[in-house]
Amino acid sequence: MINIIAILMFFISFFGLITSHSMIKSIVFTVLMESAVILFFLSLGFQSGIIPPIGVNLENLEHVADPLPQALMITAIIIGVAVTTIKITILMSFFRKFKTTDWDEARILSHHHEEDENNND
Amino acid sequence: MIYLLLVLWLFLAFCIIGEKRNIRIVIYLCVFSFISSISFLILGSPDAAMAEAAIGTFTGIFFIICFEKHRELRFNEKNASVFSRDEDPPDIDDERAVQALLKLRKKARARTRGKHNAKSILQRYLAPGLFSILLFILFIVFLPGGEANPYLRNQFLTQFSEHVGGENAVTAIYLAYRVYDTLFEALVLVIAVVAVIHMSYSSDILVKGGKPSHVGQYVVVVSVLRVICAIVLLFGFYLIMNGHITAGGGFQGGLFIAAFFICRYLVYDIYDLPITKVIRMEELVFLSTVIFAVLIVFLGTINHLPPVFHIVYMIVMNFLIGLKVACGFLILFYRYIAIERR
Repeated sequence: MINIIAILMFFISFFGLITSHSMIKSIVFTVLMESAVILFFLSLGFQSGIIPPIGVNLENLEHVADPLPQALMITAIIIGVAVTTIKITILMSFFRKFKTTDWDEARILSHHHEEDENNND
Repeated sequence: MIYLLLVLWLFLAFCIIGEKRNIRIVIYLCVFSFISSISFLILGSPDAAMAEAAIGTFTGIFFIICFEKHRELRFNEKNASVFSRDEDPPDIDDERAVQALLKLRKKARARTRGKHNAKSILQRYLAPGLFSILLFILFIVFLPGGEANPYLRNQFLTQFSEHVGGENAVTAIYLAYRVYDTLFEALVLVIAVVAVIHMSYSSDILVKGGKPSHVGQYVVVVSVLRVICAIVLLFGFYLIMNGHITAGGGFQGGLFIAAFFICRYLVYDIYDLPITKVIRMEELVFLSTVIFAVLIVFLGTINHLPPVFHIVYMIVMNFLIGLKVACGFLILFYRYIAIERR
């Protein structure tokens, strides 16, 4: 059930990503998509009363969480925020140059900008 | 409990879709990160929960700086058609070019407004919505069902204390069985730092001054932060040193050490970090992490070492990773507060 909620979350964020006009909101939705993917992997093999895989003699216990997705997801979380900072930096240098964060305006402006540069050459 | 949290989680996503004001989006994002963290804890993974909680802080700060700059630029544009010289990016410091860009932008805005009106709701929301629902249904239909094969899980859980040592299975996996992933994660962080430095509008590496944090005027906040500062640093070192027996480890400890520098900035307005030295140190730490992992794990030395040295290996490796993550996030944070925020 939790993995279905995670997939639903992923596609809600996908909907937000393709309908938003603002570039900032697009970046926020990529962050949400990432969280959904992480929740999906962590919820694999979920039972109620699950305990973390920490301690000794874990093989005798039944409700121990799977440690492998957890180890992979920690790295995924750190990589996620590193990539998000790159996205925000690109966005900030973009709106310093063109003074806009709207996708449609940006397309027209960058098109004109290219034309101007070609004319100057 | 967890379903209640996840319903709130979905509700927050809808809130973000409908929200127009930027500053509310960042508040929703922080709440979202908090709820994710609690959900991860309930799902039985305190390590991921801790990492997500620390990451929420950093994402929030980076987005706040982005929104602040955006708002400031918009404000400047409304109040004065001519930008002050200091605010200009180096590309368009010519006044005429700025005027031309503004005129062009006005035209572009008019054109897009016409376009937005011309597009009906059906085109804008219904078609993407139907497309998303279709993809969701396809995903659900082809989701593999049945019980997951517990072979690998049992293998790891029964043998990690014998092969690697320690009491935390997650740490044992990311430091020994899958140390490749950890090395590539460290590499991605190095590349992210390089990319942020090179894609920024400014080519400066080191600046001596910037905007003050304006926290100094609130006496209660400052006195609380001064106490918290030390606790955060201690907690970071605690997580690194005990990563092999309790929840925590290099990643989370490194993030907390970097969070110490946020507190330090808020209280003392410090910009004079020797950032070029930190960059050099990050590279060296990355190199030593790779060499250490290759010597101990890839060459199979770990199988011949007595179990005491396994613990030493895990502590040293956690320490190196923690230092690496702390340096990486310190550089990113410094870039944002000192250079991007100007």
